[in-house]
Amino acid sequence: MKYVQYVNQAFKAAAEKVQPFVFFGQNIAAGSCLGGLSRGLGGSPGHRALNTPNVENTLVGAGFGMMLGGVSSAFFMKQQDFLLLGLDQIVNTYNAVRQHAPRASFTIVSTVVDSGFEGIQSSLNNLADFCSFARVPGYTIACKQDADSVIGNIFARPGFRLMGVSQRLFGTEIMDFGAEPLLDRDGEIFQYARGADLTVACCNLTLPQGKGLADELAGQGLSASLFGVAAAMPVDYAPILEDARRTGRLVILDDSKSANIAGQGLRAEALEQGVKTLLVKRGHSEDWYRPGAETFSVDAGAVLAGFGLK
Amino acid sequence: MAQSVLRLAREVLRLRLTMLMLNEGIKAKAFRVPIHLALGHESIAVAVAAMMQEGDQLACSHRNLHYNLARGATYAQVRDEFALMPTGLAGGRAGSMNLSNPGAGIAYTSSILGNNLAVATGLALAKKVKGETGLTIVVTGDGAMEEGTLYESLQMYATYRLPAMIIVENNGWSLATRIEERRCPIRLDQMAAALGADYVCLSGNDPEAYLAKLTTAREAALADSRAVIVEVMLSTLGDWRMPTPEFPDGKHINYHAGGTPSVCLDNGPCVRAEADDPVHVLACVHGPARVDALAAEIAGTLEARA
Repeated sequence: MKYVQYVNQAFKAAAEKVQPFVFFGQNIAAGSCLGGLSRGLGGSPGHRALNTPNVENTLVGAGFGMMLGGVSSAFFMKQQDFLLLGLDQIVNTYNAVRQHAPRASFTIVSTVVDSGFEGIQSSLNNLADFCSFARVPGYTIACKQDADSVIGNIFARPGFRLMGVSQRLFGTEIMDFGAEPLLDRDGEIFQYARGADLTVACCNLTLPQGKGLADELAGQGLSASLFGVAAAMPVDYAPILEDARRTGRLVILDDSKSANIAGQGLRAEALEQGVKTLLVKRGHSEDWYRPGAETFSVDAGAVLAGFGLK
Repeated sequence: MAQSVLRLAREVLRLRLTMLMLNEGIKAKAFRVPIHLALGHESIAVAVAAMMQEGDQLACSHRNLHYNLARGATYAQVRDEFALMPTGLAGGRAGSMNLSNPGAGIAYTSSILGNNLAVATGLALAKKVKGETGLTIVVTGDGAMEEGTLYESLQMYATYRLPAMIIVENNGWSLATRIEERRCPIRLDQMAAALGADYVCLSGNDPEAYLAKLTTAREAALADSRAVIVEVMLSTLGDWRMPTPEFPDGKHINYHAGGTPSVCLDNGPCVRAEADDPVHVLACVHGPARVDALAAEIAGTLEARA
């Protein structure tokens, strides 16, 4: 099944038990339904899907207003850039609303435009920055297992959070590790493999690259532990650090364009604990300001060299 | 009717005297939080509070003191809140600019210009989704209404047929700039008409007249599931003149926040003997002696409770 189909069904199933529930956003029930992301949402009893005007600031505020009014909702946003217009609400309104310990749920699901060639202004992929402004929980969805956990358990839970889905992955087969994760720490950290030689931690939306790296290393006779960090905000990285102390090597992947990346925090903690650590991230480039492929790739040879294994 | 009129008059005086007492506290540096008094705004707040029915919800702005008082908060409750004490209206957790009171129908208050306009659309939408009755009322000013979210929120009300009342307290100022100094004129009546909303203009500071018009507007908004913009022409009292080398006779300072040195509790409840002072309007309607007697009675009650 394609990534977007799986994620769409997961959203539908997660909201099923919550009534009333309002799905809203621009074009969510029209045309391609955001490339299939929001197709069929709102069809269950007690659910509604509202196509909205292009009023992002007010839409984010409306989600909080519904929350105060006891109605759970989710705002689906075609691309993350639009969320900039709602920052006042994410920061200031949520700071007030969270004082009331609301029983309703509000989730903003934005498509992280990481597919490239969108143009100069439409490739913001810094979910962590939005979360950081008001210390809001945020999650990225990269595979079947984290979709099951993050969407299934957190999407319709009372409270507010951001969720990012990857446009690059929309048309690809959903990555499936074929079994339950070895570890699922509250939808924040997942462990998919346990190896002896290296620990790989995948932040933002780098799980495909991390899996590719682990497979490539396996071809060279090295086994890697593989972690997915779905949490955009810094969390307790103890499971990753514990594994890295055992393997003695930690490679962190983070494809966010932010200067404020989750991977940096993990790297700092690992270095404090004396773990040999390598952070693979994007370097700031003029290429960001013109249409381009925006691919994020990991050179296995460089990783091995970085650890003196080559 | 007479009792009702007297009730509203008493409320206007209670709000005025409470704010005068708080002003003395501000001048004495009793509070750390920034406080926006609403001297001159009493009539609209009292009328809105009297108009509200079960299920109605109010979303206020940084200048919310008059609505909190009109919805039942006492001098001691707001004083303690401003002092961030546990005995405050919100347990000392909100301070001034975010002071709400959900139990009294004040569902949300924002210190950010125009922010509450957006949140109010969600309050109204929640009512519709849940099949609940009641009007969503949101208070803003002639400065905050310049934000794009007024335009956005009017679209939301019209698109989803949500009843709402947007109170625009037009005092002509945004901090230190008058409307004509900072922007082009905005015809709210035409803006309302363009976006399917009704428009009502209130002036004169007569709380009884305000209540009658607000009640009619409330019923129409609920009956037609539409928004109504209520523009209230008023003055924020407490301005003063501050001598400077450039202005030896005193530079005019518009009152925005904090204590006002031009107003003193000992001078009685009337700040300005003109039509933009709701207490002066009461004196014109009921007679100065009657108003003075009522004020003395209320002041005694406030001081005893304090």
